[in-house]
Amino acid sequence: MSTFLEILSPSYLLFPALLGTAILGLVCPLIGSYLILRRTVFLGLTLPQIAAAGVSFTFWLQQTGFFPQWQQGERGIGMIGSLLFTFLGMGLLGYLEQRRKGIAEGRLAAAYALAGALTILFIVFNPAGQIEVLNLLKGEVIALSKGELRLLATVFGLVLVGMLLFRREFLLTSFDRDLAFLLKGRQIIWDVLLYLLAGVSIAFGVIMAGPLLLFGFLVLPALAARPLVNNMSSFLWLSSLLGLAMAVFGFYSSVRLDLPLGPTDVTLGCCLIFLAYALRRISPRRALGLIVLSSVALWTYGCATPTAPLPEAKALNNQTLWLAKVKNSTGLSLLLPATNPLRSLAEMAGKISSDYRQSVMDLLRDDLRRELEQRGFRVTLPEQTDSRFPAFPADTGNAVRLAREGKLSGLIFVSEIWRWEADSRQFVRVFADFKIVRTDDGSVLWERRIQRAVPTPSATNLGQAYTDSVKEIVRDLFAG
Amino acid sequence: MDRLYCAHLGAVRQLEGMELGQDIDEIQSARGRVSKDDSLPLVSLQNVSLGYDSEPVLQNVDLTIYPGDLIGLAGPNGSGKTTLFRAILGLLPILSGTVSRNCPLSNFGYVPQSAALDPQFPLSTGEVVEMGAYGRIRPYEFFPAAEKKQIGEVLDQVGLRQLAARSFFSLSGGQKQRILIARALMVKPKIMILDEPLSGVDEESRKTISELLVGLTRHSGLAIFFSSHDVPMVRRVADRFLRVDKGKIWWEKKGVELHP
Repeated sequence: MSTFLEILSPSYLLFPALLGTAILGLVCPLIGSYLILRRTVFLGLTLPQIAAAGVSFTFWLQQTGFFPQWQQGERGIGMIGSLLFTFLGMGLLGYLEQRRKGIAEGRLAAAYALAGALTILFIVFNPAGQIEVLNLLKGEVIALSKGELRLLATVFGLVLVGMLLFRREFLLTSFDRDLAFLLKGRQIIWDVLLYLLAGVSIAFGVIMAGPLLLFGFLVLPALAARPLVNNMSSFLWLSSLLGLAMAVFGFYSSVRLDLPLGPTDVTLGCCLIFLAYALRRISPRRALGLIVLSSVALWTYGCATPTAPLPEAKALNNQTLWLAKVKNSTGLSLLLPATNPLRSLAEMAGKISSDYRQSVMDLLRDDLRRELEQRGFRVTLPEQTDSRFPAFPADTGNAVRLAREGKLSGLIFVSEIWRWEADSRQFVRVFADFKIVRTDDGSVLWERRIQRAVPTPSATNLGQAYTDSVKEIVRDLFAG
Repeated sequence: MDRLYCAHLGAVRQLEGMELGQDIDEIQSARGRVSKDDSLPLVSLQNVSLGYDSEPVLQNVDLTIYPGDLIGLAGPNGSGKTTLFRAILGLLPILSGTVSRNCPLSNFGYVPQSAALDPQFPLSTGEVVEMGAYGRIRPYEFFPAAEKKQIGEVLDQVGLRQLAARSFFSLSGGQKQRILIARALMVKPKIMILDEPLSGVDEESRKTISELLVGLTRHSGLAIFFSSHDVPMVRRVADRFLRVDKGKIWWEKKGVELHP
């Protein structure tokens, strides 16, 4: 289990993803602040949805063979659609605003509904790439590569510079358009520039982080900062700071608890808003004290070693350790893909069964056995005494009952996989329990729960991704 | 507009001995001694029609504003006072006639109604005043120290320096108006246009703001054009005043109504 300090280390495998989220958290609230102050917050909701429609549209076009010669990566193609649709959407909404057609909120609501519908329809039209498109739209920022991080840093760095450089013009145009006209001439230039920066951020942000997380970063930190400040410069820097905190703590919670990043961050952002309104009710000194206390508590929790290390074999009097089969409770077969093409064909034709293929459970058990033996444990497999032994559940009572029924005495190592999902071959989401139980009295001598996204950056196929994640889990399990 | 007079520097000097808090009527009577000025008008409107979507709100407006003028515009709500101001400031295209300005728009200090500003913005008083200098600062420049000093000076002029760090929208109506006047002064204007500066403020603030306006024309030769629906107040403060109602605008001299 990763500690808070671990995820902040540049050597951490998901560090590029953390950095990407932090960049989004830092820059997006600056744009969102102006959207809120201009009372165009729904634009921040509608534009990401329009960008998402652009992503699914370009994937559909690609599937129909419209871009056969393009050798772009998934995100590259998505980005083109995202940018195109965002600026088209902004242009259309701006045109309707100028013409004053209908109510502003009505236009945004209709555009949001239409974009949402089109996103789904384009996905449905494109059955071949549904999973890829859905993954992109979920915005798996966790799978961000170093190249994508560089692009994100460049784009958002430019947006940040633009926001800082023209902050006075943006403020003046947003607050008092008449004075802006008198002092700076036609304010349309500043409106266009602000929406251009917003559009670029949204188009890139959607493809990197998904519409939900992006909308969260745009508006939630600014909404949380608003009740705590009474001047514009504090508002902007506090929004940015809260966005950064939301990004880092959200990322940490997501990795540690194996929760999807977007919803985790958004929930955290909403908590920040409630906290901000609560803090406003108490004196600044008390509020500061409360923040310091909470930070210390969070830090202590985050840095604490989560579980005890595996006891040494000697400490357990060199008792026999029964290594039970790994129980698969995922509902999936978790078989590794076949490496022999002839066998694959025969399997597809129904000539042979899939039993010849190794499963994740087999891999995991082999690695566990090797690791335990290296640590001096006398490892025995229950099926060596009776081949009918099933996989043992991680539930202590049931595991002990099974062991007693099978007349196994000593210690039993049980493992159960609850979740095992490969996501874009960049990482595998794992939720599994491991325990060493004494069969005589049913006491649990050691237990660990692995619940996280295991990165598999060097995997080129699913089998390799599974193998790499098994190795990573076993390493993590015995690291203490 | 043959009835227009200008505040001339020699005459202004005669007023310099008077304190800002002096009775307004006394100041006005001293102003009566001001002679006509032949200097170039700052703004001139000739036979102008104003309105929205080709629908006229005001017609045949003739108006000339000279440096040092203190002109009041009185009329009921919805009579077209703000429309006239917006046309002078170039914010509203005119339907017909001619508007000529002898100074750039950046020399116009505009004080909108404070209620028209969005209280959602977290702005300190200092930041609101600072906006008046934005026309002189380029995007890549840091806010110059000289401008910061200027903020303190204009806040002193309106007597609210101590409120620089306070939230603008937490101020009283009168204080907000004075801060908006300070912002307009920060522009370094030649002419100041104030939309209902006395509405929604208590009696004490009305007096303070009135004295401030008179003092500004007296000390700096600034032309001031302000509006109010309170006719007696306009009559008391302004050198001359215009009445506007039912699409028509006409000059009134103190005590005598001169319909067009």
